[in-house]
Amino acid sequence: MTDLLNGLVHLASMLIIPGLAYGSQLALGALGVTLIFGVLRFSNFAHAEGLSLATAITILFTIWLQGRGVSLGVLPTALLGAVLTVPLMALVFIGTDRALYRHFRRIDARPEVFMIVSAGVMLMTNGVIRLVIGPDGRDFEDGERFIVTARGFRDWSGLAEPLVLKTSQMLTIGLAVVATVALFLFLNRTQAGRSMRAYADNRNLALLSGVDPDRIVRLTWIIVAVLSVLAGVLFGLDKGYRPFVYQQLLLPMFAAAVVGGLGSPLGAIVGSMIVAFSELALTFAWKKALAYVLPATLAPEGMVQALSTEYKFAVSFLILVIVLLVRPAGLFGKVAR
Amino acid sequence: MKRVLGPLLLGTALSAAPAMADDLKIGILFGFTGPIESLTPPMADGAELAMKEASDSGLLLGGATVTPVRGDSTCTDASAATAAAERLVTVDHIVALIGADCSGVATAVLNNVAVPNNLLMISPSATSPALATDGDKGLFFRTAPSDARQGELLAKVLIDLGINTVAVTYTNNDYGKGFADAFGAAYKAAGGTVTLVAPHDDGKADYSAEVSALSVAGGDALVVLGYSDQGGNGIIRGSLDSGAFDRFAVGDGMHSEKLMADFGPDLNIFGTVPWTEGDGTAKFAAVAEAAGKAGDGSFVRESYDAAALIILAMQKAGDPAKAHEHVMDVANAPGEKIYPGELAKALQILKDGGDVDYVGGSDVEMIATGESAGSYREFENKGGSFETVRMLTAE
Amino acid sequence: MSRTPLLFAAMAAVLLAVGLLQSWQLALTILNLCLISAVMALGVNVQWGVAGMFNVGTMGSAAVGGLAVVLISTPPVRAAWAAGGGGLLAAGAVLLATAALAFLLWRRMGERSLWRGPAVGAVVLLGLALSQRWFLPATAAIEAVDAASAGYLGGLGLPVVLAWAIGGLLAAAVAWPIGRLTAGLRSDYLAVATFGISEIILAVLRNEEWLARGVKNVTGLPRPVPFEADLQAAGWVQRLAASLDWPLRDTASVLVKLAYSAWFLAVLLIIWWALERLARAPWGRMMRAVRDNEEAARAMGKDVARRHLQAFVLGSAIVGIGGAMLVTLDGQFTAGSYQPLRFTFLIWVMVIIGGSGNHKGAILGAFLIWFVWVQAETAGLWLAQAGAAALAPDNPVRLALEEGPAQLRYVVMGLILVLVMRFSPRGLIPETTPESSR
Repeated sequence: MTDLLNGLVHLASMLIIPGLAYGSQLALGALGVTLIFGVLRFSNFAHAEGLSLATAITILFTIWLQGRGVSLGVLPTALLGAVLTVPLMALVFIGTDRALYRHFRRIDARPEVFMIVSAGVMLMTNGVIRLVIGPDGRDFEDGERFIVTARGFRDWSGLAEPLVLKTSQMLTIGLAVVATVALFLFLNRTQAGRSMRAYADNRNLALLSGVDPDRIVRLTWIIVAVLSVLAGVLFGLDKGYRPFVYQQLLLPMFAAAVVGGLGSPLGAIVGSMIVAFSELALTFAWKKALAYVLPATLAPEGMVQALSTEYKFAVSFLILVIVLLVRPAGLFGKVAR
Repeated sequence: MKRVLGPLLLGTALSAAPAMADDLKIGILFGFTGPIESLTPPMADGAELAMKEASDSGLLLGGATVTPVRGDSTCTDASAATAAAERLVTVDHIVALIGADCSGVATAVLNNVAVPNNLLMISPSATSPALATDGDKGLFFRTAPSDARQGELLAKVLIDLGINTVAVTYTNNDYGKGFADAFGAAYKAAGGTVTLVAPHDDGKADYSAEVSALSVAGGDALVVLGYSDQGGNGIIRGSLDSGAFDRFAVGDGMHSEKLMADFGPDLNIFGTVPWTEGDGTAKFAAVAEAAGKAGDGSFVRESYDAAALIILAMQKAGDPAKAHEHVMDVANAPGEKIYPGELAKALQILKDGGDVDYVGGSDVEMIATGESAGSYREFENKGGSFETVRMLTAE
Repeated sequence: MSRTPLLFAAMAAVLLAVGLLQSWQLALTILNLCLISAVMALGVNVQWGVAGMFNVGTMGSAAVGGLAVVLISTPPVRAAWAAGGGGLLAAGAVLLATAALAFLLWRRMGERSLWRGPAVGAVVLLGLALSQRWFLPATAAIEAVDAASAGYLGGLGLPVVLAWAIGGLLAAAVAWPIGRLTAGLRSDYLAVATFGISEIILAVLRNEEWLARGVKNVTGLPRPVPFEADLQAAGWVQRLAASLDWPLRDTASVLVKLAYSAWFLAVLLIIWWALERLARAPWGRMMRAVRDNEEAARAMGKDVARRHLQAFVLGSAIVGIGGAMLVTLDGQFTAGSYQPLRFTFLIWVMVIIGGSGNHKGAILGAFLIWFVWVQAETAGLWLAQAGAAALAPDNPVRLALEEGPAQLRYVVMGLILVLVMRFSPRGLIPETTPESSR
């Protein structure tokens, strides 16, 4: 029985909790990707850079707040900073849209054109981030770092395996759930959300029925700003902020959105969890978990690892390719090819 | 026709060449953009400290000054690094080059620019054992020792501590890979067991997969051969957070007291780092502090030493173009030992025809292959700062 | 129509100015990379400009082309072949047999059979697992052979120029299955898929050391031109230097770079000529028809997916040739140096600035953008010294400029890209089709 518990704790600590946290961070990012795709009809290559910029600004606010002695007690001060950042990021996004994307919407440009422009925005944002905060990493987490520590859990339970739960992980999962529920409520229950969905489903029809397109676009960018700030800050809290790590999130976020079906919010969440958990589970060494569960004679010799960790990020693309082959529209998508 | 066209078209390039140099330019080719861009500014500052010291002394080659010219090696893009080096050599007319910082671009610059132009090149940080220097025509040196040596010493440290099973993770580049290979071979030869060798990529978002694999493989300690401000940091964070490992053995790339600032003063961490006992380091720290620069970063001392060696070799040769023939002379015995901040003294000795044995901030001792022999120290964390356990020398 | 020669003349003048004001070595270094970039840009232009495919995996093709140089031109490591060659061949044979069996099964089992997918999947997995029995010990043995300086199989020891052609073929061979998989996809999906696949290719190159030393790099690759030192010793070079009244070292260096330029220019011209021929041939007309109106082309019975696949493979092959030439010029293959910003987005910027669909435009764009990319640092330094002096000493913009003028590159590239897309979306030299010029 202890063995079984140990095995479970091991799995929870090494696979389930990190997977949930990583999946939630991806989900917040992928929701942004999929919203932009659904409403504005393009894949935004600058999305990861947006996350990074949002986090950079949050850090500056946080430092300012800390300087004035503001603190949230056990919670990181960055949460307050994030609240201050949202309007700023919304302005940045809407400004970019006004300056660039709006023009291409008006001339009804091909989606590739949008993607190219967003790549340009990505390059520029990259430079702006260097200007705002520089290339160095920053640790900006304060408050209580752990809810359950490895040693604390061992002492309390008497088990050999430790269980760890970080504040940032708990916050990530919790806030991701809250944000997702809020987004769904907004999309389904409010007038603005409904017209946004109508606009995404059929632009011409929505325009005929009197939807103000500029307002929809503004709303979309505001929501994207909220999601970006949340995703960026939570990721930064969990893993430490380094400005250009966020570029590495672009591919998994895209993969998650595509697997779920571009344009589908539910798909983005499911896709993110699939990507996060398969990255972890396929490169997970099951040796220890199996050793706890199986009788001693059957315990495995090797690591029981499907794929060595070097190839972990290849996993999301493996899934991507399989999904594209079998169901090109993604799990929840509507449009094929 | 040729006589007319040649000078007409090509002449300007020549006219810019310095006749007898009052102002010598030394190139600094580091990755000011790219994966190690957070390390390079202090490194360049370190090199420039030595140049300023020599210029201020007024003793170099009859009162010449030394001016640094920075170029961006990007650390990864060999083409851009070559173009930048080409610019430094042919436009700025540098007399020697400090860099390139990363082993890959260093090889490209050496073969494509330094060798054709007979340019002395000293890299402070290209430590890869795989960096092939055959065919360098005696032009290439490095003030950082090859990691092959350090791998053997780190293995010895672990065995001596009675740690016989470890898991190893290394940063997935030529530095990490070469280091891990050398360590693994030496450790196994000494009777140790490596449960798993897993590379980690720098600049990645998440290291929980690596940490969990390493943790399952198990071991008495985790050997982290990476960078303290890159993936290595993420690995340690992940290991501590999940309780996978609480004892870390590290190499020079992880020798940073910022780790204790990040993870608390009780962090159980030890390892090896190229080091000089006492004087050199302390003196460099003083020099850097006096100039208001950070003196404790990775490869900062090596950068200072690279610049100092170039300057002293030029003084010894009496002609910047022949400096490369004298790097070994000034770096090694016999001669008066020279520490950071004593460049004026060294220049005076050389001027008077004497000999110097440059020790510098990183205990420079060149071996035949043009790399630093390197003495190392075994260090461990005691209450938030690294302390020397003992000095090690490679056989 | 007189705009094109004018623009090229301006570009040539700029390069000449670098030669006159900075140095000829620098001008030729930039020129050589411009030529290589132009080849890569032509490849992307075939995919995007001609066929309208949004391939964001250029980096993968360039890396595969570079790999070919290692596999063809380096001397073989006989000890490594002896240690693990047999095992590797056995593993390869198992994989081939698996692929054949999977293919047969796929063919034999009907479209409607529910078991087709699982059966093929099981065969593939079993084959993969079986091949590991030989693959793992063989690669371990190979990597153990003189790990610091070899540790890989080496190449065939053939002339390096041959490797350029092989690089193209290899890139095409890698592109074909990818194209089969993705050519029919909508642009967003194609972009994400190719982006991801190029990263997977790089992951393989970084981690499979037996192939090309992984991150340990292969250096000292053979060159198609003589070494500077040999030229400096040659009598005719010394006489040339004397008659030019020029330092021997500079003469040799310039000659070597000119020799490279000649090679690269020849390759560029051949590819350009072939592509222009293609554009005028029925194939080119059909491609444009497919690009401009897929539905109409399909309705007229054109096989759109097939055309896309052709353009994808052809474009990748050309990028592969460029990648091989680049590795030859650098003299080394460094798997860690392939970054999407440099090898995918930069090439894209070149094509778009120059004028998508127009090969002359792509070439011009490549010249211009590589020039800006390299010289941004010089310009940044100048700005930092001259322009920034006007700002207060503690102005953050000035500090950033002084800290890293090189970092301006990204902003400049992004700005150029966005401005061109916004105000001149057809690029510097807009496309003129044979039909429209008539």
